[in-house]
Amino acid sequence: MTSGDPVQPPRRVDRAGLVIAASLAVLAAVLVWDARGLQSAAMYGMGPEAMPVVVACGLALLAIGNFIDALRGNLPARESADPVPVVLVLVGLALLIAIIGFGGGFILATSALFVTTSAAFGRRAILIDAIIALVMSTLIYLAFDRLLTLSLPAGPLERLL
Amino acid sequence: MFRFPARLVGAAVALTLAAANPGFAQQLELKLMAPAAPGGGWDQTARSMQQALVASGVARSVQVTNVPGAGGSVGIAQFVNGAKGDGNHLMVNGFVMVGALAMNKSPVTLEQVTPIARLTEEIQVIVVPANSPIKTAQDLAAAVKADIAKVTFAGGSAGGVDHVMAALFAGAVGAEAKKINYIPFSGGGESLAAILGGKVTAGISGLSEYEGQIKSGKLRAIGVTSEKRIAGSDVPTFKEQGIDLVIANWRSVVAPPGITPEQRKTLSDAVEKMVKSDAWKEILKQKGWEDAYLGGDAFADFLKKETARVTDVLKSVGLVKS
Amino acid sequence: MDTFAALAHGMAVAVQPMNLLYALIGVFLGTAVGVLPGIGPALTVALLLPVTYKLDPGGSLIMFAGIYYGGMYGGSTTAILINTPGESASMATALEGNKMAKAGRGGPALATSAIGSFVAGTIATIGLAFLAPWLVDVAVRFGPEDYFALMCVAFVTVSATFGDSPIRGLTSLFIGLTLGLVGIDKLTGQARLAFGVPELLDGVEVTTLAVGLFAVGEALYVASRRHHTEEKLEPVRGSLWMTKEDWKRSWKPWLRGTMFGFPIGALPAGGAEIPTFLSYSTEKRLTKHPEEFGKGAIEGVAGPEAANNASAAGTLVPLLTLGLPTSATAAMMLAGFQQYGLNPGPLLFAERPDLVWGLIASLFIANMMLLVLNLPLVGLWVRLLAIPQPWLYAGILVFATMGTIAAKPSVVELSMLAGFGVLGFLMRRFDFPIAPVVVGLILGPIAESQLRRALAISLGDPMTLLQSPISATLLGIALIALVAPFVLKGLGRFKANED
Repeated sequence: MTSGDPVQPPRRVDRAGLVIAASLAVLAAVLVWDARGLQSAAMYGMGPEAMPVVVACGLALLAIGNFIDALRGNLPARESADPVPVVLVLVGLALLIAIIGFGGGFILATSALFVTTSAAFGRRAILIDAIIALVMSTLIYLAFDRLLTLSLPAGPLERLL
Repeated sequence: MFRFPARLVGAAVALTLAAANPGFAQQLELKLMAPAAPGGGWDQTARSMQQALVASGVARSVQVTNVPGAGGSVGIAQFVNGAKGDGNHLMVNGFVMVGALAMNKSPVTLEQVTPIARLTEEIQVIVVPANSPIKTAQDLAAAVKADIAKVTFAGGSAGGVDHVMAALFAGAVGAEAKKINYIPFSGGGESLAAILGGKVTAGISGLSEYEGQIKSGKLRAIGVTSEKRIAGSDVPTFKEQGIDLVIANWRSVVAPPGITPEQRKTLSDAVEKMVKSDAWKEILKQKGWEDAYLGGDAFADFLKKETARVTDVLKSVGLVKS
Repeated sequence: MDTFAALAHGMAVAVQPMNLLYALIGVFLGTAVGVLPGIGPALTVALLLPVTYKLDPGGSLIMFAGIYYGGMYGGSTTAILINTPGESASMATALEGNKMAKAGRGGPALATSAIGSFVAGTIATIGLAFLAPWLVDVAVRFGPEDYFALMCVAFVTVSATFGDSPIRGLTSLFIGLTLGLVGIDKLTGQARLAFGVPELLDGVEVTTLAVGLFAVGEALYVASRRHHTEEKLEPVRGSLWMTKEDWKRSWKPWLRGTMFGFPIGALPAGGAEIPTFLSYSTEKRLTKHPEEFGKGAIEGVAGPEAANNASAAGTLVPLLTLGLPTSATAAMMLAGFQQYGLNPGPLLFAERPDLVWGLIASLFIANMMLLVLNLPLVGLWVRLLAIPQPWLYAGILVFATMGTIAAKPSVVELSMLAGFGVLGFLMRRFDFPIAPVVVGLILGPIAESQLRRALAISLGDPMTLLQSPISATLLGIALIALVAPFVLKGLGRFKANED
């Protein structure tokens, strides 16, 4: 950041950076839109709409800052990312949420997450992992729910215990 | 209170056995939500209920959860959405929630929950720091009439009983209730600190919460909101001092929507048994709460009427847009 | 002297063998539940409090203290080992602690955290015994304007977590501030950014955000880069135990952390997060090894951990002297007291000195038990990192979600956790710092409501911020802390030019 640095040759525009800047601008707009719906009920001092507006101004300025950075290509270099494992982990999380949401219980939900994550990190022995996951989550369930009286969501498997 | 000097291991074994043995199912395992931060009035009510329910043998275990936020609006939303049909779940609520829901235009209302019983009533008090020039309620009335904006009241969440009471006080002394300068604090602790530190003119709260401070002389109580002077207390009522301000902060317990009539009866019976237990009476005495038990349909009626009354008061002082 | 005699008597009760056993059981149970991310010390105590009902008063109090300390240490353990702060106060610990663990220095990190907690807890307990009445007088003088000024100091120090680009650091901070706006406004009860979703009225839970950004985000990020280099974790590189150098670099941060933690914890609205951030940024400025910060500097673990623990003892000051429960944990302490039909307050020290000193002695003993139980386990804990990568990250995710499932098993909350995980992944990928988001979420709402209270009291006159001496001083400190680095840099350059 010192002024003595040699001037960098202009790099190409960073598209991801532009998307980030745009997202920040949208966020700022949402804040202002939401704040307009508030009625200032406070008789004295600041109302509830002041802080959102301040934050929105900050976000707008930062959107400009990020925009300039992106145009100059000032973003740090990125390595390529492999989308497959990321998607797998997200599928695991989605399964977990769905199983809990539909009352499938803690053991099934966490087992699903365990197996998909493990697969995302390169394991292919899905059957063995599933057994490990079921045993582990059953033990966790027994220890925390039964012994330590933490309430974890119960499904068909939990009711068998 | 310590009738079971059992060793932990023994207790754990008993616990596991009880869980496995259906014969024990008679005893309830309850979840009790306090829709407020730990330490406040609802939380204390919930934890006292926990103590009394277990000590009197009505419930085998009671788990208290705290869901704080905006006079209970957050808690009730979570309760109505999350505990629907759960016959082992209760929530403490009270006066404050009525106003908060009206002010927040909450999509969830008290009509949705299943009323179980009103439990207690608490007298409200106005206090000032010990070194304040204000000595009586009339002094405070004079200050309010002189310049209402400069008299700051500290109390609980916006639209709660403290807030309503500040407005009623201003109205009762002939000032414009709309213009009160009321500062909501999130917990009893924070507002007490602000009063002790002399940051505000006066503080409003339930009498029991500030009792220790009043007794030790750190705060001066200038008036209580009961009809008649409390036995054994030298704090005058507002009525005695010529200010028509009578209000009580009631607390009650409700069940989630969608429970069966049998479940409702089980819970009502359990609460009634608890209220009649020695453990509960002991707690009431200790905390200085008035027993105001009102069960069944009578409570459902009361809840309806009180909701209408509070909403009217809030509208008349401009807290709720009509 | 009375204080000494009372403390000695409390100690004598606490060290009976049966009570020591209760302390040990308490610490063990507390750690077991406390390691779950999202379940902090307050919740741990709340969940396990019924267990203590069945014991005699002395034993109950001691087990209670053990659970409390165990719960607190559990949060730090996960912060260091798997980058998952169990509660907001151990977030600063995760910053350097996890880097240390990844570099094979998890042992020293856990050790400095345990010993630092012990040192801070001990000093703060002594402070509690001797300074409480005096400290509380100062504490109640803090008004809303002073708290706002304290937040300003905290905001300035946040820049220590920014990394090398101010724009990206500020962007992270403002995302956190935005998230802090979600939910019902404390002062007027109106909903902001809730979009009609009732679960959002609750606001964003700090632990959900932290666990999502740190643990889930990290897992996603590591998964996306697996094809580059298989990350190989070495559980132990060099010494498992703290070396002489580690000790030398730890003891000052422990003491400085205590100095931040205890007084700020004693303030009725002080909290545990601010002292940990203050400690982190102070250590970063004072360290002789600035190049190690961000890569695993032991000072960055020692200081915040000490501050965290000292602030917990600090919250006992207003609780015992005024009956003010200023934190969820203090409120649980209150519940512990109420088992004996006893309400803490101004008269407690005079009326029931035996229980007050019994509690203080119990805290001390429990603190020691924690050390006894956990130091031998350090070796075992760090070997967890030797688990093969697929199982390790699968386990981390199960663990991270489990805290949320136990605390709030709602689909909305779990979706938020997953959403914050994606945010954490994207921020890592595009090199935005993570910590400022959580800092913004914690500090933003406090700063806002304190400022609005101050302005309501002063009828909208902003000069109130300068008229209070405490506030004016703190704002001055904030200004100096903001400007000083630039001035020093300028001076340095000036000097360099002269040479």
